[in-house]
Amino acid sequence: MKLKVDLKYALLLFFVAIGTFAMAQRTVTGTITDAETNEPLIGASVVVLGTSTGTVTDFDGKFSLDVPEGATQIQFSYTGYATTTQDLGVSNVIDVQMSAGTDLDEVVVTGYGTQKEKEITSSVVEVSEKDFNQGVISDPAQLLQGKVAGLQVYNRGGNPNNQSVIRLRGLSTVGANVQPLVVIDGVIGASLQNVDPNDIETISVLKDGSAAAIYGSRGSSGVIIVTTKKGKASQKLQWSYNGQVSTESVLNSIDILNGDEFVAAGGTDLGSRTDWIDEVTENPINHTHGLSVGGGVGANSNFRASVNIREQNGIMRNTGFDQFNARLNFSSRVFNDKLKIDFSSSYTTKDQRIGYDEALRYAVLYNPTAPVLGADSPFEFNSSQFGGFFETLGLFDSFNPVSIVDQNRNVAERSEFNYSANLSYDILSNLSVTMRIAQQSTDFSNDQYAPTTANFRGNATSPTRKGLAEFYESNATFSLYEGFATYLTSFGKSDLTITAGYSYQEDNFNDRFFSIGDFPDNSLDFSNLIESSQDLQNAGFINASSNRSPNNKIIAFFGRANYTFDNAIFLNASVRREGSSKLGEGNQWGIFPAFGVGVDLNRYLNIGSVDLLKVRVGYGVTGALPQQSGLSKEIRSISNDPSGAVNTTLARAANPDLKWEEKAELNFGLEFSMGRFSTTLDLYNRDISDFILERTVDVAVFGVDRRFENAGKLNTQGLELALNYDVVRSENFNYTTGVVLSTYETVLEEYVLDAETRGNLGAPGQNGTNMLLVQVGQEIGNIWGPVYEGVEGGSPVFADINGDGQIIAGQDQALNPDADFEVLGNGVPDLELGWTNQIQIGDWSINAFFRGAFGHSLVNTFRAFYEPRLSTQTSYNFVNTENAVDGLTTARFSSLYVEKADFFKLDNLTISRQFNLNDAAIRSIQVSLMIRNAFVITNYSGIDPEPSLVDRGSAGNGNTTIASDVLSPGIERRNNYFNSRVFALGVNLNF
Amino acid sequence: MSKFLKFLFALVAIFAVQACTDLEEDLVGDVTEDINIEGIDTGGGGGSAGPLSAAYASLRGAGTANHGGYYSVQELPTDEMVICAKGGDWFDGGILIDLHRHTYDATHAFVNGTWVQTYNAINTVNELLSGGNLDANQTAQARSLRAYYYFRLLDLYGRVKIITSPGQDAPQASRAEVFAFVESELLAALGVSEISSSMDLSGSALGTDPNPYAMNQFGALGIIAKLYLNAEVYSGTARWQEAADAASYIIDSGVYQLCGDGCAVANQGKRAGVASDPDELSGFAAVFASNNENNPEHIFSVLYDEASAGGMNFSQMNLHYSSQFTWNFDAQPWNGYATLEEFYNSFENGDARKAASFIVGEQLDFGGSAILDYASDDGELVLNYTPAINELTPNSLREAGARPGKFSFKQFGRPDMDNDYPIVRLGEVYLIRGEARARAAGDWNVSLDDVNVLRARAKVDSYSTIDADEFLAERGREMFQEGVRRMDLIRFGKYNDAWWEKPADPSDHVNVFPIPFEQLQASGGTLTQNDGY
Repeated sequence: MKLKVDLKYALLLFFVAIGTFAMAQRTVTGTITDAETNEPLIGASVVVLGTSTGTVTDFDGKFSLDVPEGATQIQFSYTGYATTTQDLGVSNVIDVQMSAGTDLDEVVVTGYGTQKEKEITSSVVEVSEKDFNQGVISDPAQLLQGKVAGLQVYNRGGNPNNQSVIRLRGLSTVGANVQPLVVIDGVIGASLQNVDPNDIETISVLKDGSAAAIYGSRGSSGVIIVTTKKGKASQKLQWSYNGQVSTESVLNSIDILNGDEFVAAGGTDLGSRTDWIDEVTENPINHTHGLSVGGGVGANSNFRASVNIREQNGIMRNTGFDQFNARLNFSSRVFNDKLKIDFSSSYTTKDQRIGYDEALRYAVLYNPTAPVLGADSPFEFNSSQFGGFFETLGLFDSFNPVSIVDQNRNVAERSEFNYSANLSYDILSNLSVTMRIAQQSTDFSNDQYAPTTANFRGNATSPTRKGLAEFYESNATFSLYEGFATYLTSFGKSDLTITAGYSYQEDNFNDRFFSIGDFPDNSLDFSNLIESSQDLQNAGFINASSNRSPNNKIIAFFGRANYTFDNAIFLNASVRREGSSKLGEGNQWGIFPAFGVGVDLNRYLNIGSVDLLKVRVGYGVTGALPQQSGLSKEIRSISNDPSGAVNTTLARAANPDLKWEEKAELNFGLEFSMGRFSTTLDLYNRDISDFILERTVDVAVFGVDRRFENAGKLNTQGLELALNYDVVRSENFNYTTGVVLSTYETVLEEYVLDAETRGNLGAPGQNGTNMLLVQVGQEIGNIWGPVYEGVEGGSPVFADINGDGQIIAGQDQALNPDADFEVLGNGVPDLELGWTNQIQIGDWSINAFFRGAFGHSLVNTFRAFYEPRLSTQTSYNFVNTENAVDGLTTARFSSLYVEKADFFKLDNLTISRQFNLNDAAIRSIQVSLMIRNAFVITNYSGIDPEPSLVDRGSAGNGNTTIASDVLSPGIERRNNYFNSRVFALGVNLNF
Repeated sequence: MSKFLKFLFALVAIFAVQACTDLEEDLVGDVTEDINIEGIDTGGGGGSAGPLSAAYASLRGAGTANHGGYYSVQELPTDEMVICAKGGDWFDGGILIDLHRHTYDATHAFVNGTWVQTYNAINTVNELLSGGNLDANQTAQARSLRAYYYFRLLDLYGRVKIITSPGQDAPQASRAEVFAFVESELLAALGVSEISSSMDLSGSALGTDPNPYAMNQFGALGIIAKLYLNAEVYSGTARWQEAADAASYIIDSGVYQLCGDGCAVANQGKRAGVASDPDELSGFAAVFASNNENNPEHIFSVLYDEASAGGMNFSQMNLHYSSQFTWNFDAQPWNGYATLEEFYNSFENGDARKAASFIVGEQLDFGGSAILDYASDDGELVLNYTPAINELTPNSLREAGARPGKFSFKQFGRPDMDNDYPIVRLGEVYLIRGEARARAAGDWNVSLDDVNVLRARAKVDSYSTIDADEFLAERGREMFQEGVRRMDLIRFGKYNDAWWEKPADPSDHVNVFPIPFEQLQASGGTLTQNDGY
């Protein structure tokens, strides 16, 4: 701890020291204003052409720039405005008026370079800082939630330690990595965990295969390119402070009975009245602080350094994290500006208080008449055995939630360090060579400790073996070496850019786990005194395991040509040949081609008021690989025999023929803009073939029933639409609105089995109850079960769907053609909507962002287990939503528990006021008030109507799960963290 | 600057060298080839099984004494054991009720699990046999063990693929072919061409030392005796005489003795505060106790150990949650398996096997105090296992049903138990001989000599006369919880009868299980479904 504090101060001092290097030459000043409104443009970029020397305008649109000798032109650019260039004359004052409208020359970061937006022939969306989601952001992916058509970012519940589930255009594979590839400042495979949201300038999303193909084998799930903020080459240092304080409250839980209602319903009265949800939740105070400094160093260099501190607490007591992040970006040009050096490094450490989501589950189902403390027990109760807490003994899956929150500890520490260096050398004026080296290291440790008095995982009821300490550590390293050359040429009306290069990636992973228990008592925290464990005296109780990956390598050669004719017809083609060490010999190399065509039709049609009418078609092939190593090899498990012998048995059979999984995607796009209105439409078709999946094989032949195979096909078709309109644009009042819409459908075309069911409901009593149907020819995400018709004698009556006079509704008959089962809903939304509204009135601005998803269903598992009034349930609580059925006393999965989960919410409302203090030390202050999840409109009676795209599986009786099943969307499990409503007050200072 | 260029080109060259398509994958964190490190024979327990330790360990992995596999599919469809749905507990999609009512089908998870477990075990043996490191005796042991696994498949599924070396496919054999394969493998190991009263086993590669954890001649004879006892079911042809001859050979050898008076072990389940708990377990109870190693009745057994050889979970499977406090268990039980009331009542009071086989009545904790169940659903807080069960589903009472306790529990027991589980034991060998002789003679009274040996050990009066139904009942009392009841009911023609909460089966196709749906799909058409499914 001490060390960390020192490090922060050291870094700050370092930044201050760097800041004193700045020097000056000839100074040009001026003001940039909007040509229409005469409003000053704040933060517009001013660059001496051909150099990296530049600055940005202040809050009055003013700039001051030190111009090196020999410079002839200055370029002015601003997002949403056309870039202009002015010759440098004698005058040292240049005032510029810029015109709004789609900036056709705006540059977008794509793979291994940048492209003018107009020349792109694939579906690429760039979101810049001003369009990011505001407020308490714990995960950079949340910046984009709802902002990009076709990009799904879902972070169910309000757990600050949860990482978002990110999907681009739905499921791209069933067995491999379904999360998009992240590229940060050119570094492939970088970690989003190691970049603070405050440091991000833009995020580009490469949506279709033709854009992603340059990234080859890891591009199937899409590519997210993050560009961090850089120092502007101005003479002055610019300091910026960003601070926020916030609080949260439980947005929604599930309706249950209170103590009196529970007793009236026949529940066992234990004498007290306890609101368990209230006992385990709180309204936490969170802080974030970000400090950055950036500017020029000398004539040819610039830097930006930042420190971010986040303390975030969850609505469940004793959960949250503290994060410290530092980043340094440095850029310099030497050798007459021919060599450009970019260096970037960041360090993040995160102390996580993970806790156990199960405490919220038990808060829902625990007897509301039970006391928190054993001292209040209605009968004799030895509470000292449980740390003073009351426990309902002899029950399955019942733990005092307050005891979990207060006694059980589940903490983690993650630290990540990375650096990258980029050397780019202009051999000729139109030929440059770039070398890149990047390394990243991630250390993670997770300690869990259940003291001897913890009933949950601590086995406090056992007379002999109490307490448990679990330790997990992992280390992951990643190295990237790349070199590529870019050649530009033009002839006649043609421009051609050719890029070719080589990429070498290597990652390594190792981890260790062990657990040990049976501690003497609860007088000390024995997690640091594990030598006291009596497990050391008894064989067979200590668990230990370790893993080390081989050197997983990816080697690639790639090339790309971008051809432009008449500044109106655009052709792009790329190819990447890539090999992975994970596949079978002879199948290690794959070729991933792409090409695209775009035409600016309006250049030839010349429709008067139309600014842009562009059509484009792109086609590309990408790949995907699962995370595990040794996919093609035989894997055996070791077992120790009591005789002292060591044996191995087959755990997975070899498949030397395993090859790349491929995705071929065709994308058609239309871009149109006219005055204040602009729109982009994308239609796509993607075919995923040979997906790699560990499947059931004939155990008689292979000796074990599992091995990896290329085993199926998926097809997705979808549509994405983005609309933007500047409703009002005037001097003191601006209103801009934008809508993104997306819809898609994923169908399983081939699979290892004709049909199977997945997504087990779980204990108690509903194991063997799979709720999802995976069937060839059907959509992904179909929820499958009998249809509830009514209640008779306490039991549900199911519909005779096929009308054959008999009702076959047993769960093991789910695939029987005569079964009375049907599709009860689908876990994947039909339509997703994001609606942005930005209103600016003088110095005030209001940003209201609405988000919705429609057409998806969720299985409300709380209801499926606890809403029927079971005879054995009288010692637990009952769930009691408006959907409860009187007289139902048997719990059976059916349509009764599948609910439409359409929702529409005011996701984010930000109101801010700008104060410009021109001559003071502080140049400007912005104060903002933000509400997240202001309101949610939904009929769903569960905890959170957000789609559940990954199923974590069912856990009970003190166990936790780490399952991650992408084929079972649409299940809201009982151990979901409750969602929260957040109020935040932020301040932004520039000085 | 030219220096810089040189440096640049040098870097490019380095990359180019690395680029030499070097994609070798060296899996340092996984085992990719079989290793077999023999242990040191310390003289205790069964000693080292040598290179066959993996083969014998596979008996534990093959579901012999835990939930969800072989044990469950042999026990739950019978009239001796049941898992009732207890309100929100143990319904599990109806798969347990399907086993009880014989409405299981090809997608039943236990039916698939058992298939996979058994073929995993066969593969382990096949790998050892194809490794070429076994001597003649070890080869004979391995082949006998593999034959035993195929006996399981023969009994459960009938028509299966006979795979004798790893990675090879074979056509699905008929049930008669599987029977013939099991028979020929065992005969080969015994070194004879047929079982007869005058056979000479001196040519057998199997040994005769009484080590219950390794297959010897008596173990192989026990398995072939079980095979012949059920031959009519499997192949259509009765083989009573051979069953009787194999059983006689074991009994007459004198190597094994029934565990009777004086055959006793310390009672590891004794509670300090309960004076009525005996200090030791003797006779029938000792055969199944947690410290039953070296029992003179065990001919071929599966070694279980709480720390080093896990896989027996009866305490978890059978007992009520609160029974944790009777035995001070390390983990909470699951309240699953119970005994049908009619079966429990088939034992007369005073039968030593009744007391040894069941946990019934009011339960006391370690200190002798009554155990209370605050979640009790019958209005009575004291935990009291009643032989009567109110209903199968949906709301069987939490404490209903006598609980199987033959493999008795020890104090401070772990989820994995210590008791060895006999596959061939002398008690059953008497029953095989008695039944086979009686059926061969067409007179059930021929079995009386053998039956009365066991009744005497159980401290109950001898029979002077017996019929088929009574013989089956006697077999039930002796062999409860040993995974043979399903075979017995089928052989006696009773499996399709109605019993408590189970109607008569409309068809006898349920006498073999379906080929698992997953395996049918995975086999690419090389497996076909059994009739009736």
